[in-house]
Amino acid sequence: MTPAEDGPDTSADGGVATAPASGVAAGSVSGAGLADSPVLAIASREYRLAVRSRWAAGVALLFALFSGAVVQFGATAVGPGRFGAVVATIAELGVYLVPLAALAMGYDAVVGAHERGSLELLFALPVSKARVVAGVYLGRAGVLSGAMLLGFLPGALLTLWYVGVAGIGTYAATALAAVLTAWAMLGVAVLLSTVATEKTHALGAALAVWLWVALLHDLVALGAVAGLDLGGRAVAAAVLLNPVDCFRVLALAQVDVVAGGFGSVLAAAGLSTPTVAVALVAWVAVPVGVAARLVRRRRL
Amino acid sequence: MSVIDIDDVSKAYGEVQALDGLSLSVDRGTTLGVFGTNGAGKTTLFKLLAGLNRPDSGEVTVAGGDPTETAVRGRIRYLPEDAGFPPNLTGREILRFHARVRSTPAERREHHVERVLDTVGLTAAADRRVGGYSNGMNRRLGLGTALVGRPEILVLDEPTAGLDPEGIRAFHEVIESLSNETDVTIVFASHALSEIERLCTDAAVVVDGDVAVAGPVESLRCAAGDAVTVRLTLSTPTAAEDAASHLRRQDATGSVTRAGTVVEADCLPAAAYDLVCGLGPDYDVERFAVREPGLEAAFHEAVDAAPPASLDDSGQSDGETA
Repeated sequence: MTPAEDGPDTSADGGVATAPASGVAAGSVSGAGLADSPVLAIASREYRLAVRSRWAAGVALLFALFSGAVVQFGATAVGPGRFGAVVATIAELGVYLVPLAALAMGYDAVVGAHERGSLELLFALPVSKARVVAGVYLGRAGVLSGAMLLGFLPGALLTLWYVGVAGIGTYAATALAAVLTAWAMLGVAVLLSTVATEKTHALGAALAVWLWVALLHDLVALGAVAGLDLGGRAVAAAVLLNPVDCFRVLALAQVDVVAGGFGSVLAAAGLSTPTVAVALVAWVAVPVGVAARLVRRRRL
Repeated sequence: MSVIDIDDVSKAYGEVQALDGLSLSVDRGTTLGVFGTNGAGKTTLFKLLAGLNRPDSGEVTVAGGDPTETAVRGRIRYLPEDAGFPPNLTGREILRFHARVRSTPAERREHHVERVLDTVGLTAAADRRVGGYSNGMNRRLGLGTALVGRPEILVLDEPTAGLDPEGIRAFHEVIESLSNETDVTIVFASHALSEIERLCTDAAVVVDGDVAVAGPVESLRCAAGDAVTVRLTLSTPTAAEDAASHLRRQDATGSVTRAGTVVEADCLPAAAYDLVCGLGPDYDVERFAVREPGLEAAFHEAVDAAPPASLDDSGQSDGETA
């Protein structure tokens, strides 16, 4: 170690600052501008961390392959007049891919930091634990969105090439619905990460959630609707209770095509696009809000 | 004027009682060294001071408030034993982040970070990712994060653990500088009693979740007794045993122990010279030294005086903490 020749700096505005003579809380956040907001500082740190991890590149690559392949093979096969079939394919495959990417991105957000030891230092900052969780969520959501949008870019370029400008609006709306769904699933992942005591528990819970939203929920809902002869309201409720179904509805609302399976009963649900979009926003807010509350109980 | 008040605080993790009615008061500007056996409850105590946890009972007041409140935490800097910095960030980015969250004005932030890096000796490695740092460099960075902004109270959990001698020296310089030139209150845990004797105005011995002894370092030294320890090194173990037998027969000596060729005998300071001379040339004393009473004696007295920790069914002692 090579400290300064004249010893450690103890100047008030330099390195090792002195304590204020008054009892005024040093380091308080009052008066800080938006750019200096602690939540944004934590989000920016988390963003940087996630961008430098392999996850972000992996998600971008995965979605690039996905979007590129679907548009390349779909659009050339069906032609510009049936571009809706391509969007339906994106919706059907996206129900597996989008939640998987989001859950993988978020399951270790809190419990991983705890196991690494960095959570103590974060919680010792003059920022509430709830804001720390909000910052962590925002940072990861930023990276996830960026990676997904980057991944959807090859598909967008191919859409322009094969379909022209007419298809871009539909494609963009589907991509944005996928991002919103990813935010919702990321919120669920952060909640799981907040309550989990070990990273492996969070991973297991995330896989169980993926299994439920991508596969089991539709089977159970379809069985209940058909077996109990439930009406449109039940179908609507079943859709709104699963962010992945919300994505499917938003994507399929862009086109005339109605996919098979649960998609065939969606028409009876009578859900409007704004309603589904609001439901997805609620799917973002509620898990993150619950995580922000529960993190206070987390034992360090 | 006390800046830290801990009143009859208890904290348990499940069936393990980490702190048991601990009380402690620390005045502003004090440098307090906390030491004790492993699992005595030091880390639990530090987490309460940093506002990371709440006590099960009792009250913790730091800088006039509850440390779990955000505004109070702004006046405290806590360095855990393992800071676990994200390996993908550079040292500069980590300090910049802490400066930003600690509300260091944007126009002064870079300069401030540069000065902190210089203080902890990480300027050359500032732009390297922390994943490539050695353990000692991580500790220095941890100390750097504690120095960001305007610290009023430093709570450092074993800050020199894993540091090389140069790192320890630099840490000592920083603490001495803060202690001499500011009224920052410093509380740090260490197993190196010599470090506490050198840097601290006060010391506290934590045993089984409670403060066994606390007070000014000088008082603790005096309370440990007047006896000095004469340490003799002889040429052979046989010669050492002969010397030990001789010393045990002397009225002036207290406890006499032998390990290999080394003999240690406790005696009053005035008797030390005669004791060594009395061995004469027959015992072939190669070296000798006289050690004055220190915190080690106070520590051992405190530990010895504490009732033995009972073991639960799992074989874990009462004092062991998570």
